Amino acid sequence: MDLTFSEEEIEFRDELRDWLGSNPPGEEPRSDQDAAFAFRKEWQNSLFEGGWAAVHWPREYGGRDASLMQSAIFFEEMGRANAPLPANGLGLILAGPTIIAWGSDQQKDRFLLPILSAEEIWCQGFSEPEAGSDLAAVKTKAVQDGDEWVVTGQKVWTSVAQYSKWCMLVARTDPEAAKHKGLSYFLMDMEQEAVQIRPLVQITGEAEFNELFLEEARIPADNMLGGEGDGWNVALTTLMNERSGLGFFLQTQLRRALDRLVEDAKENGQIDDPVVAQALGEMHVRTETLRLLAYRGLSIIEQHGQPGPEGSLTKWLWSETNQMLSQLAVGIRGAKSLTEGDPWAYDLLRSRGNSIEGGTTEILKNIVAERVLGLPRK
Amino acid sequence: MKFDFTEDQHEIKRTAKDLLAARSTLEKQREAAEAGEYDLALWAELADLGWPGVAVEEAFGGGGLGYVELAGLLEEAGYALLNGPFLSTAICAAAISEAGSDSQKEEWLGRLASGEATGAFGLEGEIVPDGASSDVVVVAAPDGSSARLLTGEGAMPALQTIDPTRRYGIAEGELAEGEEMPGDVAAAIDLATVLVSAELVGVCRRVLDMTVEYVKDRKQFGRPVGSFQAVQHRCAQMLLSTEGARATTYFAAWAADSDRERLPEAASLAKSAASKAGVEVTASAIQAHGGIGFTWEADVHWFFKRAELDAAFLGSSGEHDRRLTALLSS
Ligand SMILES: Cc1cc2nc3c(=O)[nH]c(=O)nc-3n(C[C@H](O)[C@H](O)[C@H](O)COP(=O)(O)OP(=O)(O)OC[C@H]3O[C@@H](n4cnc5c(N)ncnc54)[C@H](O)[C@@H]3O)c2cc1C
Repeated sequence: MDLTFSEEEIEFRDELRDWLGSNPPGEEPRSDQDAAFAFRKEWQNSLFEGGWAAVHWPREYGGRDASLMQSAIFFEEMGRANAPLPANGLGLILAGPTIIAWGSDQQKDRFLLPILSAEEIWCQGFSEPEAGSDLAAVKTKAVQDGDEWVVTGQKVWTSVAQYSKWCMLVARTDPEAAKHKGLSYFLMDMEQEAVQIRPLVQITGEAEFNELFLEEARIPADNMLGGEGDGWNVALTTLMNERSGLGFFLQTQLRRALDRLVEDAKENGQIDDPVVAQALGEMHVRTETLRLLAYRGLSIIEQHGQPGPEGSLTKWLWSETNQMLSQLAVGIRGAKSLTEGDPWAYDLLRSRGNSIEGGTTEILKNIVAERVLGLPRK
Repeated sequence: MKFDFTEDQHEIKRTAKDLLAARSTLEKQREAAEAGEYDLALWAELADLGWPGVAVEEAFGGGGLGYVELAGLLEEAGYALLNGPFLSTAICAAAISEAGSDSQKEEWLGRLASGEATGAFGLEGEIVPDGASSDVVVVAAPDGSSARLLTGEGAMPALQTIDPTRRYGIAEGELAEGEEMPGDVAAAIDLATVLVSAELVGVCRRVLDMTVEYVKDRKQFGRPVGSFQAVQHRCAQMLLSTEGARATTYFAAWAADSDRERLPEAASLAKSAASKAGVEVTASAIQAHGGIGFTWEADVHWFFKRAELDAAFLGSSGEHDRRLTALLSS
C-alpha cells in the first residue's frame, strides 16, 4: 500500500494547476439557467483548447490517456478551483465512454470530437413514466424501416434535453423477447420535428429536466450503439460511469461546501458550541470517507477494467451526506439558509434529488445487497 | 384518563377538516403560492367562524375554548397547507393573552379574535411568519426575558423564503422598539411553540397520506412500489415520527389548558418531536415519490418547504432537546 502520489502524478497535478492558474474558471452565474449553461459551455471550450476536456479518454480520441489516479486528481483539482461542471458533462462522462466501449470506428470518428469541444451537447433518454427504477421496463419502441429505425414513445426526467443535439436513447426493438433482451441503444438526433421537448419544473423552481415526446422519430441504422438486443448491457456501461465517474468531482464540491460552512461557524461563534463542532466533525469524517472510498474504487476498476457495483456505495454516501450538510447549514447559519436566493437554501432543495437521480438510494442498496454481498434475490 | 379529544372537540376538528378539504385544495394553495397572495375570502370566512379567537377569553371577545381546540384547528390547517394569517394571528393572540398588559389585551384581543386585525409573533433575530404584513407584532427575546409589541404593517423587513405558501418577516432589532409587555413572556413563547407543533403534525399527516396512496398505486417491476420492504419501512418510520409528534403535541396542548406547571417541558417535547418529524417525514415523502416527488407539480415539496420553516421557528429540535436536559436537571 502506498498512499502518496507518484512523481508522474505530481507532475500531472502541477501542470494542471499551472493551467488553471492562467485559465481560472470564474464564477458561474446562479440566477439564470441559460446563462449558467452558456458559462459552462464556454468553460468546457476553454478546457478543450487546453487539452483538458476529457483526460480519462484515450489520446487517440482527444483525451490524455490519464490513469485512473490522474483522472481522480483532475476532478479534485477542478473541484478545488471552484470550476463548474462542463456543459457537456453527460457527453464527457456518460456518452463518450459508452461510445468508446461499444462504438464502431465510424461512430467514434463521428461523435467523440464534438463531445469534447461541447459543440454537440448530449442528454440521457433512459427513464420513462413507467420505467424509472425498473429501467428494463422501457416501452418506447423502435421499428426498423429500411436503413432507419422509427421511434415512438415518451421519455421523462431528461436533463439538459433543451440544449442537446444528441440523446442516448434506450428503446425496445423486440417486443417478443424477454424484458432485458429486447432493448437496443441508439444515438438519436434531437433536432427533428418528431422530438418534442416539454420542460418540467423541479422543486427548486428551475426546469433542469424535461419530458420528451417521440412521434416516429427517425434514427439511421448506423446510429445503433452495440448490436440489436444489446441495449441493456450498453446502458449498464453508461450507468456504471454515472455512479462512479462523477465521484471525485462531487466529493470535492462537498469538501468545499463543508469548508465554507466551517468558516461561517467560526465567524458567528457557533464553532464553540460542542454540538455544532461534533456535527461538523461528522461531516468531515463522511467527506473524507467518501474520498478514500472513491480512491479504493479506483483499484477495483484497475482490476476489473470497469467500475463495479461498489460505485453504488459512494453515490449513496455522497447523496446522504450532501443532504445532511445543507440541513446542518440551516442550524448553523440560521434564517439566511432558508432565504430564497441563498446558495444553501438552493442546495437544501436541490440535494433532495440526489438520492433519486442516477438510481434511487433504495435501488443502490438493493444492488449492494444482491451484487456485492450476494444475498438471495426475492 | 382519556388521551383523546372529547366528542365536541372531535366535531370541531372534523368540521374544520371538511371545510378545508373543500375550500383549501392543494390546487388553490399552489395558485396562491405562485401568485404570492393569500386567499383573503377564505380567511374572512374562518374569522367569521371564530377560528383565530377560539382560545381567546370570552371577556375579550374570543370563543373561550382552549388550546386543545386551537391546536386541533391548526393541525387541520397544516394538513390543508392553509395559506393566510391564521397561525400567526392565533399565536399573536396567545402571546398577548399571556404577556400583554390589560390595555394591550383590551386593544388587540377582540380585534385579533374577530379577524378584524391580523397579528404575528416571533423571536428577536429570527424569521417571523407574517411578521412584515400584520397589524400587530409581538417580538420576544429568545430567553423569554422580555417582549415588545409593535403596530403597523412593516414593523419589520419582509423576507422571501423558500416557502412561498406563507409570508415572512425577519426580526432585527425590534426589541428596542414598540411597547413593553409586562406579562409572562416565557409562557407566551411556550404556547406559540405548541401551536406551531400542531401545524407540523398536520403537515406530517398529510404527506404520509399522500405517500401511502402513491406507493400503493405506483408500479415498478410489475408490482406496487409499496410492496417493497424498503418502501414499507420508510412509510412505517414516517408513521412513527408523525404519531410521536402528535402524542407529544396533544399532551402539550392539554398542559397549556390544564397543567401550566408542565407546559415548559411539554412544549419542548412537542416541538422537538414535531420539528424532527416535520423535516424527516416530508423529505421521506419526496423520496418515496421518486422523480415525481422532485417536481413542482407534485405538491409534496410545498410541505417540505413549510416544514423547514416551521421546524426552525421557535427552536429546532436540537435546541429543545438541550432545553429539556436543562429543565430536567434543574
Ligand atoms: C434531478 C433528476 C435528474 C434526472 N435526470 C435524468 C436523466 O437525465 N435521464 C434519465 O433517463 N433519467 C433521469 N432522472 C430519472 C431518475 O433516474 C429516476 O427518477 C429514478 O431512477 C427513479 O425512478 P422513478 O422516478 O420512476 O421512481 P420509482 O421507480 O417510481 O420509485 C418510487 C419509490 O419506490 C422505490 N423503489 C422502486 N423500486 C424499488 C425496489 N425494487 N426496492 C425498493 N424500493 C424501490 C424508489 O426508491 C422510490 O423511493 C433524473 C431524476 C432526477 C430527480
